[in-house]
Amino acid sequence: MMPDSNPVAAPGASPTLAIDGLGVAVRRGPRLLRDVTLNVNPGEVRALVGESGAGKSMIGKAVLGVLPRSIEVTSGRIELLGHDLGQLAPARRRQVVAAAASLIPQDPMTALNPSRRIGGQITDRLVLRLGWSADAARRRALELLERVHIRDPLRVMASYPHELSGGMRQRVLIAAAFAPRPQLIVADEPTTALDVTVQKQILRLIRELQAEAKTAVLFVTHDMGVVAKISQTVTVLFAGKVMESAPTEQLFSDPRHPYTRALIAATPRYTHPHEPLRPVPPELIAQLWREVESTNGEGGEHG
Amino acid sequence: MAEAEPLFRVSDLRLSLPDMTRKPLFGRAPAVEILKGLSFELPVGAIVGVVGESGSGKSTLGRALVRLLEPTSGRIEFRGVDIGHLDEAGLRPSRRDLQMIFQDPMSSLNPRHTVERIIAAPMERFGLDRPRQRAREALQRVGLPAEFGGRYPHELSGGQRQRVGIARAVALEPAFILADEIVSGLDVSSQAQVLALLQRLAADLRLTIAFISHDLAVIRSLCSHVIVLDGGLIAEAGPCASVFDQPQSLMTRALIDAIPLPEVDPGWFDSHRALLA
Repeated sequence: MMPDSNPVAAPGASPTLAIDGLGVAVRRGPRLLRDVTLNVNPGEVRALVGESGAGKSMIGKAVLGVLPRSIEVTSGRIELLGHDLGQLAPARRRQVVAAAASLIPQDPMTALNPSRRIGGQITDRLVLRLGWSADAARRRALELLERVHIRDPLRVMASYPHELSGGMRQRVLIAAAFAPRPQLIVADEPTTALDVTVQKQILRLIRELQAEAKTAVLFVTHDMGVVAKISQTVTVLFAGKVMESAPTEQLFSDPRHPYTRALIAATPRYTHPHEPLRPVPPELIAQLWREVESTNGEGGEHG
Repeated sequence: MAEAEPLFRVSDLRLSLPDMTRKPLFGRAPAVEILKGLSFELPVGAIVGVVGESGSGKSTLGRALVRLLEPTSGRIEFRGVDIGHLDEAGLRPSRRDLQMIFQDPMSSLNPRHTVERIIAAPMERFGLDRPRQRAREALQRVGLPAEFGGRYPHELSGGQRQRVGIARAVALEPAFILADEIVSGLDVSSQAQVLALLQRLAADLRLTIAFISHDLAVIRSLCSHVIVLDGGLIAEAGPCASVFDQPQSLMTRALIDAIPLPEVDPGWFDSHRALLA
């Protein structure tokens, strides 16, 4: 098996998302992503794992075109369904992304508008961006709410976010993300704010819905346990650089990169309570930084 | 743990809080019972995990133990004295012994004060001598270089901030520390460091710790005892070894079942060892 051979891709199938040599940096400031290359195929869940500051969320933001103003793409290309996003006019780019990709955000409270009912927050994008009729959008929203096991979808449509629990809100956001039938979903730490029991339900839902619709998912997380359960492929990031990309099974059975091994070793293992937790050794971090900085040859730096 | 006298002996602890979601525009919010009669003991030197789903009463229980909340009824005996219904003056002799580390180190450290001042402030409040010097010693204890004393919270990483919170608590040489979800915001690596630190400090200083978390893997690797809460009641409690090896309650089993172990297991999503609503 090739190091990054893909257990999901059908031979010859073209990827939903292809990122090639992506560099992202703060304007006149530090680099956030360095030469990131990865693919996500239809039906594949690719986990993006790393510690805070590794740039995992930045990749999703670059794909969706929602990088903060102070941050810019300095090199590389992002292809979504074959469209080279960097080559598109901004309006066209927004159109392509809105039709093809959705976000499941981390914090279900701040992602919902507290002063608006749930229903409109799901149907808006369908009606305003994608040109669905109000009636079709409403039916789709109800269907999805039912699909994410919300018992009384009509009532929830008429509710305000504060009337729902954290788990319910996250289900609403999953429904909203899947409603337009996107080919790609960027899930940015969608269960980090949730209890383990609710987390499991939410992970199961995402898995069910994406498998059914063959949605490609870029799943950002810092939790190696979640990586093991949700994904078929993994990309490990450190300081904005890919340390290792591998099928999930192989990453856990035979982690090649020392940083991957360190991350796994630092994860508390319920089944091995007496093994001491081993933080990522500072020497390893220092060494990785030296490596990352020394391979900083490519141009495109500003300032 | 065959200690003669436990640090805490809690009996039939009940606590109600106003239900702000049902508060009328004018007038008082109706009360809702959060803790529905809890009885347990915390042995001296134990690290006791408190686990449960959100809304099970974990944080409320913790806040009652350090008497940030007053119980509606029941007893909280701390070193043999019922502190459950003491007023602030009555609590003063115990305050230094009941310390707390918070979930979000950014919001619990004053952004306008240096680390040294943050750690020294409570010591000054309690009239300890040489607070600045003790603050520097406390920094050393939690593995931060002394020059960190001159820095401000925003200059530190999440893990370092959490160490400052720990330094502030241990500098007072308390008997008890409440740690409420203190590693849930941290990366695995910082998490492992903070857990190792807490374990070492507990042993060195003979601290009793209530460690609130929703993460059973963390509790199992850190704690000696565990209390599993379910809807304001104790579902199960005891030494970690027995509770985790032979879980008796549905809630414990559901929590164990939901842990995503860092191993590939295609059957994980289909395992329903416990029924969940």
